[in-house]
Amino acid sequence: VAGFGAAFGAIMAFAASAPAVTATATSSVSSPPTGTGWDGDYARDLKPLFQERCYACHGALKQKAGLRLDTVEAMKRGGDSGPALVPGRPDKSPVLGRASATESKDRMPPEHEGSPLSVVQVEQVRRWIAAGAPSPVDERPESDPREHWAFRPRQRPGVPKVAAAGWVRNPIDAFVARDHEMAGVQPEPEADRLIQVRRLYLDLLGLPPTRAEAEEFERDGTGRAYERTVERLLNDPRHGERWARHWMDIWRYSDPWGLGDQHRNSQPHLWHWRDWIVESLNTDRPYDEMIRQMLAADELYPTDPERLRATGFLVRNYFLFNRNQWLDETVEHVGKGLLGLTLNCTKCHDHKYDPIAQVDYYRMRAFFEPYQARVDIVPGEADLAKNGLPRAYDRTLDPPTYRFVRGQETVPDKAKLIAPGVPALLGFAEPEIRPVKLPAESWQPERRPWVYEAYREAAHSALTRAQEKLAQLRHRSPSVPPLELAVAQAAVAVVERESAGVERRFDALRAEWSGAAREVLEERRLTAVQADREVAGARAALAVAEAELRVSRAEPAKREAVDKELAAARKTLADAESKRSAPIADTETFVRPVGTRWTATRFLDSTKDDPVVDPPSESTGRRTALASWIVDPRNPLTARVAANHLWARHFGVPLVPNVFDFGRKNPAPIHAELLDWLASELVDSGWSLKHLHRLIVNSAVYRLGSSGRNAEGSLAKDPDNLHWWRRPAVRIEAQVVRDSILAHAGRLDPAMGGPPVPPGAQSSSRRRSLYFQHSNNDRNAFLAAFDDATVKECYRREQSVVPQQALALMNDAMVHEAAGWIAERLARGLAGAGTGSGASATSANGGLGEDAFVREAFVSLLGFRPGETELAAAREAMVAWSREKRELVGTGESRDSVRRHLVWALLNHNDFVTLR
Amino acid sequence: MSMNANAVPRRAFLADLGLGFTGLALGAVMQREARATGGVGWRPPDGLPHFAPKARSVIWLFMNGGVSHMESFDPKPMLTKYAGKTIAETPFASAQDPKKLAIERLVVPDANGNQRNTLYPLQVGFRRYGQCGLEVSDWFPHIGAQADKLAVVRSMWTTDSNHGAQTQFHSGRHQNDGDFPTLGAWVHYGLGTLNENLPQFISLGFREYWNKRDGHYLGPAHDAVPLRIDPTNPLDFGRSEGPMTPSEQGTGLDLVRRLNGLRGVEYPQDSAMAARIASYELAYRMQTSIPGIVDFSRESESTKSLYGIDRAESRDFGMQLLAARRFVERGVRFIQIQHGGGGAGAWDAHSGLKANHEKLALSVDRPVAGLLSDLEQRGLLEETLVVFATEFGRTPGSQGSDGRDHHIFGFTVWMAGGGLKRGVVHGTTDEIGFHAVEDRHYVTDIHATILRQLGLDSRRLEVPGRKRLDIDHGRAIEEIVG
Repeated sequence: VAGFGAAFGAIMAFAASAPAVTATATSSVSSPPTGTGWDGDYARDLKPLFQERCYACHGALKQKAGLRLDTVEAMKRGGDSGPALVPGRPDKSPVLGRASATESKDRMPPEHEGSPLSVVQVEQVRRWIAAGAPSPVDERPESDPREHWAFRPRQRPGVPKVAAAGWVRNPIDAFVARDHEMAGVQPEPEADRLIQVRRLYLDLLGLPPTRAEAEEFERDGTGRAYERTVERLLNDPRHGERWARHWMDIWRYSDPWGLGDQHRNSQPHLWHWRDWIVESLNTDRPYDEMIRQMLAADELYPTDPERLRATGFLVRNYFLFNRNQWLDETVEHVGKGLLGLTLNCTKCHDHKYDPIAQVDYYRMRAFFEPYQARVDIVPGEADLAKNGLPRAYDRTLDPPTYRFVRGQETVPDKAKLIAPGVPALLGFAEPEIRPVKLPAESWQPERRPWVYEAYREAAHSALTRAQEKLAQLRHRSPSVPPLELAVAQAAVAVVERESAGVERRFDALRAEWSGAAREVLEERRLTAVQADREVAGARAALAVAEAELRVSRAEPAKREAVDKELAAARKTLADAESKRSAPIADTETFVRPVGTRWTATRFLDSTKDDPVVDPPSESTGRRTALASWIVDPRNPLTARVAANHLWARHFGVPLVPNVFDFGRKNPAPIHAELLDWLASELVDSGWSLKHLHRLIVNSAVYRLGSSGRNAEGSLAKDPDNLHWWRRPAVRIEAQVVRDSILAHAGRLDPAMGGPPVPPGAQSSSRRRSLYFQHSNNDRNAFLAAFDDATVKECYRREQSVVPQQALALMNDAMVHEAAGWIAERLARGLAGAGTGSGASATSANGGLGEDAFVREAFVSLLGFRPGETELAAAREAMVAWSREKRELVGTGESRDSVRRHLVWALLNHNDFVTLR
Repeated sequence: MSMNANAVPRRAFLADLGLGFTGLALGAVMQREARATGGVGWRPPDGLPHFAPKARSVIWLFMNGGVSHMESFDPKPMLTKYAGKTIAETPFASAQDPKKLAIERLVVPDANGNQRNTLYPLQVGFRRYGQCGLEVSDWFPHIGAQADKLAVVRSMWTTDSNHGAQTQFHSGRHQNDGDFPTLGAWVHYGLGTLNENLPQFISLGFREYWNKRDGHYLGPAHDAVPLRIDPTNPLDFGRSEGPMTPSEQGTGLDLVRRLNGLRGVEYPQDSAMAARIASYELAYRMQTSIPGIVDFSRESESTKSLYGIDRAESRDFGMQLLAARRFVERGVRFIQIQHGGGGAGAWDAHSGLKANHEKLALSVDRPVAGLLSDLEQRGLLEETLVVFATEFGRTPGSQGSDGRDHHIFGFTVWMAGGGLKRGVVHGTTDEIGFHAVEDRHYVTDIHATILRQLGLDSRRLEVPGRKRLDIDHGRAIEEIVG
């Protein structure tokens, strides 16, 4: 870099002539300010400009050339080349000269680092300097980035003492109440019990309470029903299903997708990871342990398939064609999802706001450079197309990582190898990387006992099937042509040989594993090779039998072709026969059964898979080190980010608005102390998510009403409810809409886990929505209408209101079918209750007797009791329906359909999809 | 609990109940919104124009990715003359004067959106069309034949050198400023409805890269409704799949509206309620209105052929444009059609520009020309403003061996109909198509021109607490207004 001094002469010349240049240039750019004086305001007009264009290199983040420009004092003080600003002397102020230089090599900000100042801006700066560079006396420099609220070490704040002690239920409320006092807002009264119970169920289970559950809760208005209900719901296995969907949004769960049959993204059978998430939440697996397992279970628990499922988090990023895109996504979403850092902004250049250098991006990438994806055989299934465990592993132990110049993958800076590392900003500890020796069962998974079992079982059931088929044909003979029988017979022979082959191959493998003597090894090898030859012979014989059958059935026109096939099959058989008794060469090997299959990549730009590499017996330990660093209690970000995610999903609105960026672009939230307290609770409870759920949902702020009625004072002071004086109303998520409908209908399938429901089966499926196949290509239309997660990035769900949602609820077959079931259930409930109103509910045809049904439907579906006006409106509609039904179908069976219509209407009520 | 505070809105709601589901009965809700957001004295738009309108509807055609202005509607033979020379070696060296480049606001410096120094020759010939003698490239012969209907603005500029310029073209704001309502949302907000059976703001085609919402601070009720032009399935859940007659459904939805209204009184701060009620009103009517519109069976073969529907390369876009005409006939205000999906937009020809633009032009040229002549022959062109736009132009210099990069300093947009002058060219770029030099226009000038023709004053639409800048409002291009 030439520095200020070198180009000074040229700049002086330019600066002196600047006004003239301005005058000609502006005619085609924009109108210049008239006059020569300065009547602007530095703080308002210029400081933001300097901040945007200069501070990244000359502020708190960096001080290139020893220079800071974040205060006028600092400008005057200058840097290595002397003062940058001389008040009254534009000609002697490099801050102007450099900004207005014509040569791009002299100009600031440098090319690729920011846009040059416009002519008008240059002119403003000039006049300001000429006027003596006035600035506020109390101008403060940018604060040290390390002082940014989210980068500071997390400390447990003291719980404030507040006047509203009676309102406070737990420390969360003390923080909120202190803020209420300062903001001068009054908390809204608690929501009524019906709303509370609906909130708790929808929030914690993603399903509505049954009538009995709601009634029990309502009856116990003063006792411990609330807290007891919370405990029960947190221990309900459906809680894991509900909250798994939240974490699946954040962690970008996606079933595999691609083009046609080619999987290009994510992994087959990734649902194993989804099931791990559900189970982890239900058993309250500590959050830090979840992160460790997701990033490095293959190193930490290499022989534990249950935990290996967690690495679905990593293998989900698989992309067939481009390793850079795969790793970019990995770095980006480890950054955003776990750390609240936009590391992705540093792929091409240093971060403009946060103290993260471009090289940090590649240091983070280096943690992941060795890993790839493979699918292991799981108990009971030898066919990896049908089932298998997708998981991460280090495929190569020292793949190089290079920085890409300006982020371009075609321009790696090969002069410097990048080692794994973390941004210095968060350098409370450098991750310690220790390579991991893997147990043999991990890198030779065919040693796992269930692999042999799976192969044997597969061979066995193939044999059974072939034998059954043969027996059936024999039973039908003599109607079966002898050639068809011969095929079936040959097929049995193949699977018999195959079955024997499985035994011989594993005999040979076991000899190797046990370190048997050389002669034993040799004997087993010969036996296994011979078994393979028998299989080959039987297959060739089957092919001949099949060809003979085809010849017998061939039309004359095709005869020649099938004759050729038969001749070829006979030749293959003859070869196999002669090979069968040939001596076995020293180099000849048997078909080695595999326990895993690498998910092939096509990075090399050929049209075929990249070469296979055997799994190494070691792992680099890089990801373990990174995981430990991320969940180190000293890491200022991890717990804060997690606590914010939890809050956002309990309330529909987060404490830190940008849930994936806790960087300097985002100032400290109003409730920074509350967030720190929650984060401390998370860590100190052993990272128990359930502990945090419990605290939040038991708090008084969680129980607030959401109406905003009679709150003119609070509304005037805080119309946007920044101070949590009421609950925000929330449009419930897509999955909750659909699951609730089926739950009200009593038809929700309680089955947990397993492969996803494919698109074609979804409309008739009663499974919970989180089990629907969901990828970039596969989106369920009903769920999509309600802003279902996008798999590429979904740190928060949208809460849109569009006609498509209305159409889905108005017209979808599932909704209509469910309305009938719900009406029946409600009627049964009323009849069962045996009350007077229940009895009258059975009276026909939409008269006053239906009021009990209507009330029941409101309470059950919407969580509130209808007023007189609402009852009257419902009555009117029911009479109209009833009249029309009678006209259509005559008198009689109209009541059921009228009730079904009413239920349908309430499912379309705004409050059915709203959490009050 | 103060009943008095609720008395007025409750009465208003009850009054609404008499109107039935087919009447747009949002008065009370709107009023409540007004109180919640605007304070005393402010009222939301009443749906009437501020002054006499010239146009009724807008068909907004947007080419995603950035069309080369030099190879479409602003041909520059100097590129061919000086091909292979650096700009510095030509008489046009001053184009790269840094001061002239200063309008750019970078988002992220990357491999694209950079200066390209070596002039790249025109990849296609051009000729003059019509009485007005408009020069149009040979890739757009059918649009060329409509030259005497067009008002071409050759002097556009914008500030985002990456594809955030797509959003910027619609909202007038650079992406670093945040999210702002788009032009269609403003029109929707300002003008209410011409046809209660259809959404007034429709989006067709690809909208992957740029911001998927329109209303932003105006609210989700002003987002465009996305539709598919697929006669067999134009609308998800468009038909009742249950045992319910249309009349029973109507009774039910009437009940839903009344119940929502009553609930709204209890939750006066819930702004989603108004949007929910409006969304049901519309959804109800879309069930019958939409399928009819995308049913082209009554359109003659010659009409379909006019739109290029009989050709594989222009079929999809042609169907969208024919649907647009049918929407306009039924009074839809704003139809926004995005052409060219994938990546940042199909027109983004960083390499292989010739093959790229040739192919894409084939897919739009006939349909667009067909739309113009069809609107004209039906007497609709005077009241329908057609816009042909893109986020920016492409560099005069070459990127790689055969591409052009993003170019914000000068590019072309044309409009037609809606009371605009016909067969005019306004504004110029310099001789290599680098800078807009005469009558320069930022993107909001297009917005202002359209709003003017629709009879709207954007300053009178402002929402309290949401101060707009002068540049957000833009200036109507009076020179092309008839």
